[in-house]
Amino acid sequence: MPLHERDIHYFVDVTLAHLNKITGNEIALRDPTIEFQSLVFSAYTGLLHLKGGAEGFVYFTASQQFLQHLHNSHQSRGRITEEDCRDVMADITGTIAHTVHKKFGATLQISEPRIFSTVPDDPIEMPPAVFVQPLVWRKEHAYFVLGLASAETT
Amino acid sequence: MTGTEIYKRTPAYEREAREIRLHAPQWKLLLAFDGQRSLSEVALNAEVSFTEALPLTRKFLDQGWIEEQPITLDQYLKRMGARDVSATGAAVPPPTVLHQPEKETAPAPPSAPSPTPPPLPASPAAEKKDESSAAPEKAPAAKPSNRAMRLSAVVDFITSLVGNIGIGQLLVYRVFLRVPPELLLAEDIASVHLVGDTSLIQSEKLQKAIADAVNAVAKRQLPDSVFAPA
Repeated sequence: MPLHERDIHYFVDVTLAHLNKITGNEIALRDPTIEFQSLVFSAYTGLLHLKGGAEGFVYFTASQQFLQHLHNSHQSRGRITEEDCRDVMADITGTIAHTVHKKFGATLQISEPRIFSTVPDDPIEMPPAVFVQPLVWRKEHAYFVLGLASAETT
Repeated sequence: MTGTEIYKRTPAYEREAREIRLHAPQWKLLLAFDGQRSLSEVALNAEVSFTEALPLTRKFLDQGWIEEQPITLDQYLKRMGARDVSATGAAVPPPTVLHQPEKETAPAPPSAPSPTPPPLPASPAAEKKDESSAAPEKAPAAKPSNRAMRLSAVVDFITSLVGNIGIGQLLVYRVFLRVPPELLLAEDIASVHLVGDTSLIQSEKLQKAIADAVNAVAKRQLPDSVFAPA
């Protein structure tokens, strides 16, 4: 049974809730877009593939500075390493996967998070359109991206 | 009254509701005032034209059934598209595209800006909306005309079908998943901005594809107001 929009929106809510918990509710949303031609990748990306109630993927992608701020908000204030960036991204993506899995259970299969920098090693197939929700924190940008394989809905 | 005012129903309305006698379209408008949406949005949602909505709103105000709902600075900025106070002085760049899949087939320069005003509904009142659970409307929504379709009006119409903006925007996304990307790219539309998109769609083929997608996904027919005046 395909997920309803309100269920799909849960992904955005979970991501925002987690980031706002870290940042003290300082995440600002910008107006979303639908992209037909290209995917949006920033410096680091955490990707989840979806099967079952929704077919496609979600990913969170952020600049190194965005992750640096996140890292510094609950860790030491030193310069962030590439490993740190991947750890922060793994934490965000893992939290999304865990929380969504708790809500939808077996109706939605969620892959293990795939973390990469710049662009994916294995190309991601561009669906007909992707939903891009930009987020800003301390003037640094991140994007929540949803790519569904089809428009099927309940 | 400019259309940006936000009204909510009053305790006086709650007391008198059972005694009030109105025509069905007027009830539809009155019940649409929820303290969340602007007059323009309420009119669009109730499928009452703005010019019809104005005197009715005045009447509801005079009767004490609705009152203006003050909003906070944050709510105001959010409505205006700047979603936090700190953003008021800072321009935010669009999403950065760092990777483009090889399957792309057509160039997509940004859409041309348009001075068209926000959408105003002009269609007659219709049945109660129930998100996407109803059966598709029978009449195809395509508008065989040489009038341009305003993308912002299409987005606003679909979004207004759902009480929540975020969920409404995902409904817009689902609609556009059904629109062949090649038709959009042929019109130089590589992306749709879900707030204030300025694109005008001239291609009748694309207009029909969008109307069909709205009908299939949102189970609604596009109102005539999504088309620019001839």
